[in-house]
Amino acid sequence: MGETNEVVKINKWDGAAAKNAVDDAIREVLTGDLKCKESFALIDGRLFLCALAVGVALYALLWDYLYPFPQSRLVLIICVSSYFILMGILTLYTTFKEKGIFVVAKEKVGNTTRVWEASSYVKKHDDKYNLILVMRDSNGKYREASINKSFANYIDTNGTVVQNLVLNEITKLYNSLSSEKKEK
Amino acid sequence: MLDSLFDDVKRMNKRQFIYQVLSFGMIVSSALMIWKGLMVVTGSESPIVVVLSGSMEPAFHRGDLLFLTNYPEEPVRVGEIVVFKVEGRDIPIVHRVLKLHEKNNGTVKFLTKGDNNSVDDRGLYAQGQLWLTKKDVVGRARGFLPYVGMVTIYMNEYPKFKFAVLGCLAIYVLVHRE
Repeated sequence: MGETNEVVKINKWDGAAAKNAVDDAIREVLTGDLKCKESFALIDGRLFLCALAVGVALYALLWDYLYPFPQSRLVLIICVSSYFILMGILTLYTTFKEKGIFVVAKEKVGNTTRVWEASSYVKKHDDKYNLILVMRDSNGKYREASINKSFANYIDTNGTVVQNLVLNEITKLYNSLSSEKKEK
Repeated sequence: MLDSLFDDVKRMNKRQFIYQVLSFGMIVSSALMIWKGLMVVTGSESPIVVVLSGSMEPAFHRGDLLFLTNYPEEPVRVGEIVVFKVEGRDIPIVHRVLKLHEKNNGTVKFLTKGDNNSVDDRGLYAQGQLWLTKKDVVGRARGFLPYVGMVTIYMNEYPKFKFAVLGCLAIYVLVHRE
């Protein structure tokens, strides 16, 4: 798991697999070639919510096993309602906080810290991979750029992700967002 | 073929893998929590049961799905269909109340019989037990859905088939990245 520099070969007709593969390639570019440091707070937040929900369910299961039903009623009510509330929070978290962001990377330039957020989405039955790269720095600057290109620009006919093509695209975006003059 | 099946997993990093396991856990937990929620709402320890025998024909047939409630404030009455447990038997029985004695202090004892059986259930009860009481009751039938339970019956008759289906589903969910 997580070994870098191996050739990634996927079923290019599977939209989700293709998206995941290109996402991974972009993460590698941002954290590897562009030397940013990946920040895991966002994904850890989601993992924490998931783990909590599963924990609540396991606790209910255990409690119901130790104290069979009519006795365990109160605990079950608490567990069941908090489980569904947690599921609601998780849905809100992924739709409004994560918004498809698959990598958050930090970078120190001089004495300002830049935060890069990359998110992507693919419409169903569409070959277009939509990438949105957001740059925020500690001075309060916010810039955003997006590319909307077919998977064919990143993946060759065999279904292999071409790391160089991804690197080129991301570097271009990265440079345009880094340079001051492009301010909107 | 099998190698490429696990490609997705091999390519995941630590956090993606944890998430994969957790999302599998959440599928199982959701089902579990819905079941426990139904238990709380209906007051029955087993709110949905499948009829396994033809002893209640023509009311219920093998494979019917029954929805049960078990509210303590609702008294059991003659003619109602109850699901009850008998000591020494794993599977609860669905039969109709035939006779019922109620005392002033609210305790009841009752006798049941399957509509399609020629004798009452005393032969099915535990050794020496003549009556059922409230604590034996799992719930009272409130609604039914015909034939749906046949899937469960087949699954239980062919356990290997059940494990194969469940195993395939589990592997698919664990291996496939969404």
